[in-house]
Amino acid sequence: MSDLNIKILVVDDFSTMRRIVKNLLRQLGYINIEEAEDGAQAYSKLKNGGFGFVVSDWNMPNMDGLALLKKMRSDEELKDIPVLMVTAEAEKDKVVTAIQAGVNNYIVKPFTGEVLKEKIDKIFEKIGK
Amino acid sequence: MPDEMEEIISEFITEAEESLDRIEPLFVELEQKGHDADMLNDIFRSMHTIKGAAGFLGFQSIVDVAHSSENIMKKLRDGEITLSKRLMDVILKAIDMLRLLLEHLREKDGIEEDVAPLTQELENVLKESLSGSPDGGVTVETREKEKDETSRPQDDNAVSNGEPAPSHGDETQRHGEEDNAEKPGEPAQVHKDTSHKAKEAAQNLRVDVERIDKVMDLAGEMVLIRNRLLNISHYFDLNYSSDTQTETLMEAVSFLDRVTSDMQLAVMKIRMQPIQKVFSKFPRLVRDISASVNKKVEIEIYGEGTEVDKSVIEHIGDPMTHILRNSIDHGIESPEERIAKGKPEKGKIVVNTYQKGNQIVIEITDDGKGIDIEKLKEKAVEKGMLTEEEASKMSDEAAVNIIFMPGFSTKETATELSGRGVGMDVVNNNISLLNGYVEVSTQKDKGSTFRICIPLTLAIIQALMVEVAGIKYAIPLSPIEETLKISKDEVDNITGQDVIVIRNKVCPLFELNGILGTGSNGGHDRDHKYVVVISLGEKKFCLAVDKLLGQEEVVIKTLEGIDTASSYVLGASITGDGKIVFILDVTAMSRSLVEAT
Repeated sequence: MSDLNIKILVVDDFSTMRRIVKNLLRQLGYINIEEAEDGAQAYSKLKNGGFGFVVSDWNMPNMDGLALLKKMRSDEELKDIPVLMVTAEAEKDKVVTAIQAGVNNYIVKPFTGEVLKEKIDKIFEKIGK
Repeated sequence: MPDEMEEIISEFITEAEESLDRIEPLFVELEQKGHDADMLNDIFRSMHTIKGAAGFLGFQSIVDVAHSSENIMKKLRDGEITLSKRLMDVILKAIDMLRLLLEHLREKDGIEEDVAPLTQELENVLKESLSGSPDGGVTVETREKEKDETSRPQDDNAVSNGEPAPSHGDETQRHGEEDNAEKPGEPAQVHKDTSHKAKEAAQNLRVDVERIDKVMDLAGEMVLIRNRLLNISHYFDLNYSSDTQTETLMEAVSFLDRVTSDMQLAVMKIRMQPIQKVFSKFPRLVRDISASVNKKVEIEIYGEGTEVDKSVIEHIGDPMTHILRNSIDHGIESPEERIAKGKPEKGKIVVNTYQKGNQIVIEITDDGKGIDIEKLKEKAVEKGMLTEEEASKMSDEAAVNIIFMPGFSTKETATELSGRGVGMDVVNNNISLLNGYVEVSTQKDKGSTFRICIPLTLAIIQALMVEVAGIKYAIPLSPIEETLKISKDEVDNITGQDVIVIRNKVCPLFELNGILGTGSNGGHDRDHKYVVVISLGEKKFCLAVDKLLGQEEVVIKTLEGIDTASSYVLGASITGDGKIVFILDVTAMSRSLVEAT
């Protein structure tokens, strides 16, 4: 079980989606959740520090989820923050690209709270927290 | 939790509708421009996002329609198929269906639409496009691919699909930052274009309209109290100026005065939205209407960033739609006719919006055949709205505005299209509701221009306070051109109508007393009269009053149960001295007084 006080950043350009994901996270007991509208905004929020986990949509204007991931992984301060990528397309090649870019896990929408929990638990199990 | 869910759903509906509003004009632009990867990607992404959120909320019909549309957009974006008229028609149909589905959700009417025929059509069109011929010839491979794609949402629902990333050893592998960062369909330009917008949106806050209206109401009340305080402080200033507290009071009140004005402006701005919201529907509208009457028409829109009050956004759509229909139906000629006249085959409608003083002006100009003024006059005489004599005396500028007169239906000439039971008088009424007015000017074979003028804000207006027969009235300031003091000898009488000459122009004069039926109270006997000159577009007339009391800000409170058009009362307000005054409706006056002259 991961720390419920961990600060989570939810990144999606569609505000309804942010709200849905936030709601699911809250149902799982997470209380410290912030939002960003795209990769660029997420990056600057992340740079302000304090975040322990990112749930990001893939397809966004401005800076998409993959670009954000790559930028994070090349940033000394952010490279260790786990990222869960949300995608509607289960296309294999895309997933592989994300894995190569250093994503910790991915989740296909629509998903339920249980699946989300499963994914998060797996991530934190793996990185040993 | 149910409340939370309801809020999420209502947010989804709003957000999805906004997305549709945004992408719809892009289609029409695409049809003209041809392939544009940025635009296609933008549309693709919107469909994709709507599908994603709808999936979470369990709106399967929306998922199905969005999914089929998204498939087409993806293939278009990636250049696998090209945009045809047929493809466009079906996608626009899908957008209409999405709107309908969202509307059902909003109304909670429980009505279900059968989307299967539409998704089938979308798939068929996609197949046709892929094979390049409408009559089958689809390769087996394509068919399988299609089947695979359409069945995917169901797969997605299966929880087990989201297996953890295969090898975690790979996670530590990092590739160069630049490589592959941009997918082929997403050129760097997309990023540049949207970055500004995204930044703007980031600082936006969604607020319930009711809350804003509440603040608006309170600001209105504050204006009234401020006005009263100003009055009282003037009294103290006159009578107790030696008291040091009076000066303090004056200072405090004048500060309150400033803050109230600023606040009023700030609240007003909260309610303002770019008129783009209304205009975004027009390219599609023009496309559909012109196609249905076999005409070629393009629309150009300027000033869509002009901000107007929310109620203007809500009420200007219908009258503008009607004017556009009218212009396409009656104004723009058929391509053959245009060519014969030496005009470009394609007609053009230009919508231009700008702020002029404290008014918003919207002009809709077409380059069609213009309005036949003689015919208008003939018909008005036929209908007994004008006598032959009146008609022959009427200037062209005045005559063309006959179309706005109540009862002047263009039914006989209207085709099925603009004859949908809405005449131009309804356009006029709708715009009057916004305290605005509409006028038209026309030139034979050059085209017509409809000009709509609407005050910036509706709730709080600047007014001129006047007195007639001992009663105070407020006249909205925006249509007032000037006020004059004239002597009795300056009033002439032409065929029973009082007139005065202002800078060599004859202008009809009416006693406000007579119009309102408040009884004559010596206004005629005085040597001097005060005259308020009202100018509404091409129409100009003068109102004689007993006294001019000065300018005041008034908050319009609508009055229930009063026919404002026949009583010439727009609403009421409470003045600085705590009394109730009527706000006069000069538009209604001009309609019944001036059109008859």
